[in-house]
Amino acid sequence: MFSESLRDFRRLGFRHVLLQVLNFASVIASGLMMWKGLGLITNTESPIVVVLSGSMEPAFYRGDLLFLTNPASEQYKTGDITIYRTGDRNGPDIPIVHRVIETHDMPLCAPESFAFTKPTRRQPKLPAQCTDKVPRQLMLTKGDNNYADDLELYRGLDWLERKHIVGKVKGFLPYIGYVTIAMNDFPQLKYALLGGLGLLALIQRE
Amino acid sequence: MDSQILEARIDFHGQSLMEKITKGSLVLITVVAFLAGFVTQSMQYTFAVFGGASAMLALVVLPPWPMYNSHPPTWLPAIVEPGLVVEKTGISK
Amino acid sequence: MHTLLSRVNNASAFMSSCMMTLLAAIAISSFFLGSQPTGEVGISPVKVFAAKGRRHYSGKQDAAFVNFNVTADLAPLFHWNTKQLFVSLEAEYTNMHGVQNTVVIWDKIIRRKQDAQLHIEGGKNKYAFREVSTSFKDVSPASYALKYNLMPYVGVLQYGEIARTSDDVPFPEAQAKVAS
Repeated sequence: MFSESLRDFRRLGFRHVLLQVLNFASVIASGLMMWKGLGLITNTESPIVVVLSGSMEPAFYRGDLLFLTNPASEQYKTGDITIYRTGDRNGPDIPIVHRVIETHDMPLCAPESFAFTKPTRRQPKLPAQCTDKVPRQLMLTKGDNNYADDLELYRGLDWLERKHIVGKVKGFLPYIGYVTIAMNDFPQLKYALLGGLGLLALIQRE
Repeated sequence: MDSQILEARIDFHGQSLMEKITKGSLVLITVVAFLAGFVTQSMQYTFAVFGGASAMLALVVLPPWPMYNSHPPTWLPAIVEPGLVVEKTGISK
Repeated sequence: MHTLLSRVNNASAFMSSCMMTLLAAIAISSFFLGSQPTGEVGISPVKVFAAKGRRHYSGKQDAAFVNFNVTADLAPLFHWNTKQLFVSLEAEYTNMHGVQNTVVIWDKIIRRKQDAQLHIEGGKNKYAFREVSTSFKDVSPASYALKYNLMPYVGVLQYGEIARTSDDVPFPEAQAKVAS
């Protein structure tokens, strides 16, 4: 079977190999295009994510696929399940899927310190003009399966803000993402799969 | 010879028959599976029906049963002309 | 199609298309199933104590303690595509600077239809209820709402409100310090 393929390969020649490489490249390019297009529509950098931890069990398990949106004109609400990253000041920057349990919406154009101003003091002045379209929002999140809120995960931040959030969970598809987890846990599998696919693409006659 | 058994070839009529059976029954299975789950309000039924029926369908459709090999093609005898070289695997000029 | 491998390939490709259609049909069907649940929320007078602040805040920060009664029938939300319900009791109020706050003070995950009847009397807030500006002085009375988030086995997450307090509940003056 294999020797037959090898013979075909030799017979079809260099142009055929080039054509297959081109086909392969176009498949990858269209995949990337769809991914980026979806990201543009939903306004998130990654519209589809795979759950990697068990902190939202029993809602989401490892390997579940989540579809995200991040509408620019909409405020986050308590109960929304968000994916956030707090920057990579120390340690790896892993996106976290947790639920919003507190929101504090400040008046439009208010600076960050606004929310902390003690009620006994005079009301702080709002800047005369600013470019904000939606009010600033301070948030606190918590994993359904965790006992405490996420303050410890914010790496020194007191509150989560919109700029840290990748998107909120809109739709859900179970188990499908487990393939990527398996590939992360066993890198050999990834190389075997990639190599096999590449070889098939080159050899196949169609 | 080994690869022949492994490849389990079927003839042209068999291929068309197999395709018709596969498409028709999978559509039917999907509809029945949905209704079964919807009526009982249990998703377990849906996937039990879908999985079970698909496994049975695979048994019907995948092995080279005699009914898929009942119309063996009759090829014309090979004509040997000068300038045309006939190989075992195919024809090349 | 003539070899076993190509038949497996062909049949499994069509099968996965059917599977996707089935999942999509299930996801769409859940929009037509389920109906509005009913319930009631009652809040006893709220107590406010001066307590220790959140991690980075030096000094004191008021903490509110809420006692509540909740009765709700969530069975209408359970259908074949309901994996779990996340029920939460939220306080909504505006402080004197115009900051709008929504704080979850209690939540519960319900996974079975048998557990869908909620009867909670004298419930206490599960999470610390604090005001960002450290004091509940002069903030507007709060409205308390019981909300749900339906998480499906497959498809779109749905949100809704079950019940809300008819009258807003004011915050009293802070009482003497308690250790927390």
